[in-house]
Amino acid sequence: MFRAKVEKVAGATATSQDYALCTMLHSNLAAATFDSLQPDKQLIVLDVGLAMAATVDFFSQFKCKLLFVDLYAEDFVTDISEDISHQELVSLFRQSLNIPDNCTIDICLFWDFFNYLDGTLIKAFIEALQPYVGEHTRGFGLGALNSRCQLPNSCYGLMAKDTLTQCPRSDEQRPVFPHSQRDLKDYLDYFEINKSRLMSDGRVEYLITRCNDSVRVKKPIF
Amino acid sequence: MFNFKKDTDTGRSALNKSSRSSSDVTKRASVSIGGKTMIGSTVVIEGNITSAEDLIIEGKVSGTISAAGHEVTVGQAGQLNANISAKIVRIEGKVEGDISGGEKVIISKTGNVLGNIDAPRVTLEDGAKFKGSIAMDPDEKPAIKAVPNGKSDLFPGAATSDKTNAS
Repeated sequence: MFRAKVEKVAGATATSQDYALCTMLHSNLAAATFDSLQPDKQLIVLDVGLAMAATVDFFSQFKCKLLFVDLYAEDFVTDISEDISHQELVSLFRQSLNIPDNCTIDICLFWDFFNYLDGTLIKAFIEALQPYVGEHTRGFGLGALNSRCQLPNSCYGLMAKDTLTQCPRSDEQRPVFPHSQRDLKDYLDYFEINKSRLMSDGRVEYLITRCNDSVRVKKPIF
Repeated sequence: MFNFKKDTDTGRSALNKSSRSSSDVTKRASVSIGGKTMIGSTVVIEGNITSAEDLIIEGKVSGTISAAGHEVTVGQAGQLNANISAKIVRIEGKVEGDISGGEKVIISKTGNVLGNIDAPRVTLEDGAKFKGSIAMDPDEKPAIKAVPNGKSDLFPGAATSDKTNAS
């Protein structure tokens, strides 16, 4: 059974005032995360961000299990230590994810989480997630068009298959590591960026899928 | 004149009676209002609560709360380290524990929940804080599920004996 960490009750979030500033975003690719779902099977969704009312409301039409972990707020993500090893980071991510054994995630809502991680952290996160990723697992992410682009300090929800909600976070803007699509593709290991679309504000949305092993071995090794 | 005095006396008597009642209520663990039992904000309960009527909790509870077929509301002052099982669960305060709703679970904008929710329908209001999992099934027929093993393993240290303290 999914077990949230006891010592950290849901912390930083958008305040009531912040919700008044929420905006809607059109998405061309979020709907594609639903393409390979099996009917009647319980849908397992991992949301690495804040639990948003819109997301819970949207998924209430499905037989599903939503896992909300808000990795953005984890200390080891915000206070990056150079002394920590890759395996320790993997272990920390796995503890934070706290996903039950034998659980295979259908949809990963990464939002813009990768932009708050450097390459080392992305690789550790991807490795920590691997036991819960199946052949048909799909992910959705938001990124910067290039490393010069800035991202707003926002949290996201899914209002409809083609509509996102974006609300300002009340906590401080953390350091951002905008990755180009090329760099991100290399960090994602067993995932690949299946499709990407430029959004109206200069951001990019990604449909992320599991890549086959022949593609995976061609990726550069860091 | 006589009537006036009599009325005044009656009024004073009623006032004194009212004051006593109010004082008594604050010392009780709970008070029943219109078919709902309220656990006041100064009440601390360690143990298991089983209720055959609606519950409003403004105090602190550690253990389990079971109200099959009824509604449990954790008010804004409520602080629970407890698993909750009821027909409808409404959270306005702070809860650490698993929540099972036979019909629905609502976390209001002031609610703060750390745990796992299982209900046919779940509503999270804007501003609500939640960390954990939510299992929903809109086709599931409303039913009351038992609190697993009587207590969540989230709180292994919680007392098993029923103990009530009104401070």
